Amino acid sequence: MRTPLTPSGNWLLDRRRFLSHTMTGLGSIALVDLLHRDRLLCADDDPPRFDGQRPFAPREPHFPARARRVVMVYCTGALSQVDTFDFKPELFRLHDQPLPGAEGLKTFQGAQGNLARPLRDFVPRGESGKMTSDLLPHLGALADHVCFLHGMTSRTNTHGPGENFMSTCFTVDGFPSLGAWVNYALGTENEELPAFVAIPDPRGNPQSAGNNWGAAFLPAMFQGTPMTAARPVSYLHRPARVSATADQATSDFLRRLNERHLAQFPGDSDLAARIASYELAARMQRSIPHLMDLSKEPETVLRAYGADQTNNSVKAAYARNCILARRLCEAGVRFVQVFNGAYAMGEGVGNWDGHKQIAEQYPGHAEIFDQPTAALFQDLQQRGLLDDTLFVLCTEFGRMPTFQAGASGRDHNPDGFTCLLAGAGVRAPLSYGATDEFGWRAVERVTTVYDFHATILHVLGLDHERLTFYHNGAQRRLTDVHGHVLRDLLAKV
Amino acid sequence: MWTWFFASCASAQSIDFERDVLPILTESCLDCHGPETAESGYRVDVRRIALRGGDLYPQLVVSGNAQGSPLYQIISGADPDLSMPPDGERLSRKQLRIIEGWINAGAVWPDTADRDDGTAQPLWSLQPLQRPAIPRLSESILDSNATVLSNPVDRFIYAQLAAAGLSLSPPADRRTLIRRLSLVLTGLPPTGDEVDAFVADCDSQAYERLVDRLLASPRFGERWAQHWLDVARFAESDGFETNHERPNAWPYRDYVIAAFNDDQPIHQFIRDQIAGDQWGVDAATGFLVGGAHDIVKGEDADLNITQRMDELADMVNTTATAFLGLTVGCARCHNHKFDPISQTDFYALQAALAGVHHGERDMQVFPNEQRQEQIAALERDLSARQIELAAFRPPVTPRANVEQFSPRLVRWVRFSIEEASRYEPCLDELEVFRAESDGHNVALAEHGTGVTSSGDYQGAAIHQLAHINDGLYGNEHSWIASTTRDAWVQLEFPQPETIDRIVWSRDRGWQEHVFDDRLAISYRIEGSLDGEHWELLASSRGRRDQTFRQRRALTTEEETEASTIVAMWDLMDIVADLEQGMRDWHHRPHVYAGRFEQPPIVYRLHRGDHRQPREEVPPEGLSALRELTASWGLKSDATDAQRRVALADWLANPHNPLPPRVMANRLWQGVFGRGLVATPSDFGAMGAPPTHPELLDWLASELMARGGSMKQLIRLLVTSAAFQQSSLPREEAAKQDAQCRWLWRFPPRRLEGEAIRDRLLFVSDALDWTTGGPGFSLFEPNSNYARNWVAKQQMTSSDFRRMIYAQKLRMEPDAVFSVFDIPDGGQICPCRARSTTPLQALNLFNSEFVLDQAERLAAQIEAVGLTSEQNVTDAFRRILLRDADDREMEWAQALASEHGLVSVCRALLNTNEFLWIE
Repeated sequence: MRTPLTPSGNWLLDRRRFLSHTMTGLGSIALVDLLHRDRLLCADDDPPRFDGQRPFAPREPHFPARARRVVMVYCTGALSQVDTFDFKPELFRLHDQPLPGAEGLKTFQGAQGNLARPLRDFVPRGESGKMTSDLLPHLGALADHVCFLHGMTSRTNTHGPGENFMSTCFTVDGFPSLGAWVNYALGTENEELPAFVAIPDPRGNPQSAGNNWGAAFLPAMFQGTPMTAARPVSYLHRPARVSATADQATSDFLRRLNERHLAQFPGDSDLAARIASYELAARMQRSIPHLMDLSKEPETVLRAYGADQTNNSVKAAYARNCILARRLCEAGVRFVQVFNGAYAMGEGVGNWDGHKQIAEQYPGHAEIFDQPTAALFQDLQQRGLLDDTLFVLCTEFGRMPTFQAGASGRDHNPDGFTCLLAGAGVRAPLSYGATDEFGWRAVERVTTVYDFHATILHVLGLDHERLTFYHNGAQRRLTDVHGHVLRDLLAKV
Repeated sequence: MWTWFFASCASAQSIDFERDVLPILTESCLDCHGPETAESGYRVDVRRIALRGGDLYPQLVVSGNAQGSPLYQIISGADPDLSMPPDGERLSRKQLRIIEGWINAGAVWPDTADRDDGTAQPLWSLQPLQRPAIPRLSESILDSNATVLSNPVDRFIYAQLAAAGLSLSPPADRRTLIRRLSLVLTGLPPTGDEVDAFVADCDSQAYERLVDRLLASPRFGERWAQHWLDVARFAESDGFETNHERPNAWPYRDYVIAAFNDDQPIHQFIRDQIAGDQWGVDAATGFLVGGAHDIVKGEDADLNITQRMDELADMVNTTATAFLGLTVGCARCHNHKFDPISQTDFYALQAALAGVHHGERDMQVFPNEQRQEQIAALERDLSARQIELAAFRPPVTPRANVEQFSPRLVRWVRFSIEEASRYEPCLDELEVFRAESDGHNVALAEHGTGVTSSGDYQGAAIHQLAHINDGLYGNEHSWIASTTRDAWVQLEFPQPETIDRIVWSRDRGWQEHVFDDRLAISYRIEGSLDGEHWELLASSRGRRDQTFRQRRALTTEEETEASTIVAMWDLMDIVADLEQGMRDWHHRPHVYAGRFEQPPIVYRLHRGDHRQPREEVPPEGLSALRELTASWGLKSDATDAQRRVALADWLANPHNPLPPRVMANRLWQGVFGRGLVATPSDFGAMGAPPTHPELLDWLASELMARGGSMKQLIRLLVTSAAFQQSSLPREEAAKQDAQCRWLWRFPPRRLEGEAIRDRLLFVSDALDWTTGGPGFSLFEPNSNYARNWVAKQQMTSSDFRRMIYAQKLRMEPDAVFSVFDIPDGGQICPCRARSTTPLQALNLFNSEFVLDQAERLAAQIEAVGLTSEQNVTDAFRRILLRDADDREMEWAQALASEHGLVSVCRALLNTNEFLWIE
């Protein structure tokens, strides 16, 4: 049962004939002036045309969608493909031998040492027998349900630009994130919650921080809202020293003042939208705490995610973030981005950036990452959500098959790495693309980040070449002027 | 000319375009390069495009030179990167010969064989600036609107309104008007008293006087600078993952504020930001490097070049969009798809800026006579005081130590150091003066004096024996001995000299930090006429010890010579003050305004790829403006300064029609909330056309006619009837023009995030009015290599300056106000979105920041108010600048009695009325 609207809200809806819409309850939460750019937005039929009154209202995709929402798990610091999902027997065989063709090669931190065997053995998984590393056994167990993209490449070997690139398709700052584009294109199924939620790692933000979920030049309302299971949306609750009754009375007084003011400006949708935005804020104040309350989750669920592991607080906190991600998907949030890894503690300590002591660092990271992420996947699967949710696992680039000269870790490698897609409409089991025999360079079905994003949009029913927004001289696209949909990894409909 | 003519005649006989060439193009190329697909923007069926090239080439066919024509290179296989047709059969040798012969013969393409559809309209914004006539209005209209239509701006507005069957709204009431004007010009509301005074002022010039007062207020520059900083994508951190702060970037912000406050003419404003370092306006070039900078460099050279190319692209794009309103950045990889900007144009502008690098530099000090005199006077004074002080035998100092003695005839002087404060001893200069008034320093090497030593510290260029008598002060020009003890340095004059004074020092530079290690504590200075017999001239013996330097109280033993010691201390203080004065004169602050180097040769990069350089491109302005502005005449060996000055002059050239149009439009946007061109940094074909083209041109020419005065133009705009009219909606007009493009009312709009914060602090009387200088931080300090910025929890009063003085961190939102569409500093933001979201409501209603202001305000009101009614009245007047009506009074008193006045204030600070410019 939805809370009834105020007179001004009803008036607004009536005026705009929103009452005929099925989702009347939450109309008109927001409005963007959009620089009066309606002409520009409408110049072409392709860019999404959203009603300024209800910018988050669900919008039709370009063509029938396979997925209605996305959950993206983002490993920051560059997850080593050769230690996880990209099986290269040659690395075991040629351990401590020079990498052929790499004489004098300088990667990000400098010269190369010899090839180094993966940290753990690889074992066959499921019916497909896909070889994955024992470093991530829980995720490995899902191999039959996953499409591995082994031929991924990036345009940069530096973390900041790399994170930007994986999130926005531009290495430089200031371009809209994938989630913001999706939010702009499709709105959301539950207007009581933010349409795009970013869940940073319990240890802190990723390196490019807000640029991973920013709106850049898209209207600010399409940006991701950062929250974690431990730290909900800022300013969600009234200040501690204001009582509930005082808060309500103040809010009522404010509404009356604003309505009285609106009466002087009949028909001003900006003013009406602001009144409605306070109403939606009040609803969010009620709905978000409910959503964040994990106390009702059964013991079995907490255990499955590893959220009960009091001896590993980071793992437990990350696990709770994963549970939150599932709850957000259930509640109809369009795009959920879960980060694993943060840079606050320095190189490789709290993230996958294993330059120097990878054997010491990775097992700890894997322990935090593996079980909760796999549990999230299985939870979505068991609840049937995976049928129309696209599951994405990505990282900004890969790592070298060699150790760095004079160190026991791997340097950055933008020329070959692995990402995963699964769920709605994605073929599984499937291994798409390949690196060379050492896991160094993508050689087969080389896949760009543009292709990756074009495919994600495609699964959501969006044509990456038609999803545009005018910014300073160009109809900007997520994929810039690149990208091809990887149709081969999509199931036949 | 003759040969070309001859060749063309001769070959034309053998090759006919329509008979021989066109069939080849049609058969082999048209599928991909025709009206259907036009790959890479290239078509072979339209002469203009076929000859010029599509997106990838500025000139595909070089008439008369087949070998030099990219078209021929591509189809003949001479181009290693691009070969056409891409698949299927290649052109036959015969076909190639035909194309070759046709190009060599002048590439004649007759009109009759051209399918140009004429879509290439000349771009309006590139046309020369005309001054349109002010629209003539009929007598009857003028009679009924005599006062309204005295401002030329209104005539243009009125003419277009009338054409649409609309009219201006009646004037806004005076209370609304002063609020609107104050917010638009200064970003702050008036006080209640100012409102009352204006409402009561019956003088016919009251409004004009108000305009002049607000334009003269320092608050004006603080408001309008923000508009420009959006255009300049200015932020005070590097961006990317490290996002290190730039502690010395603020002078650029202060420059912009001052430029508006001082009404800098636009041509000067433009020139300063490109090349201000050339005439002493150092901070202004902060514009060039205001964008993000990736400081993480790897060992992979290729990626480092890419980073550099990205930096330059940011500079070119920002410069071109800010001043020209042209998206030149779109031509980095290919010719501009919509505007007449070739890839060569992009690289020509890049060549203009190719010497600019991110980073700090010293602000230059420009010599002038007055300054020189003042320094000389200060130096004389200091020297006299030092001599005076010497008589007291003060403790040794790293700075000038004066040794005086009776005149001696010597040819050698030896300075022997028995002990230094730490390490091997260091001297930056050893001066020996002739015994005469205004005695000359005979120690200088330039007079032929030689120098030897006991041994020199090795391996540091700044520490050399020759520095001891080079006339240069400071640690950077000093000598260090090779041993910690018993070191000496010896001077030999070309002839015997009668001397009576020696001055030596360890670090006499004028930088802030003075090195005080390596200071000679125990020393002897001896002289000799024959080089064999030595006589002591001076020594450390008798000098007071270092404790005298710090303390200013006498011990009991010292009381007998109290007057001497106190006199010494007084002199030491005087000397220290004079030294500080000298230091101030020499102070060269650092500013993040770019480092300039000799630029490398710039090449056009095929597809924007630095691994595919093509022809050399010298610095030059846009070819589309060549006829109006002339060539720069520079070659690839031009210095960085020549290039930037040429660019600055070209942008500020009065015949360049873009900057005045672009700037006039920005000023209009600042006043009315939306530009006459709604895409203020894109005056190209993809941008919005002007709603009022004649008005825009008239304003641009008026701006120039008024000497580029932005204040005068703003004054013209805010004194128009269009600005002063009511903002209340009129149903019939709204039906016709909901967006208010024709300005039938003043379009109301929400304040920007910064202005909301400023206004909150203003009404709670917490605003710290400090102007200029380093900004305050919205974040907790952080020293992580990859900065991890966390919003400051506890604000102090110095954090309550206007928000333009907040250190602007790129991509880091302020916890409360960024949701009000404050730009992130990643890319340019010439025009802010104005969104309304529930997060805004949460932040304003629930944040401590806003509640703090409500509490502060309530306390102030209650401190003077006597009754609940008075308190409510006061709250309305302070926050909304008006009285509460009866109903509001009733509600507010009920709320106040139940939950305190603070609840009333909290609500009022959240009202639409408070957040809007009406």
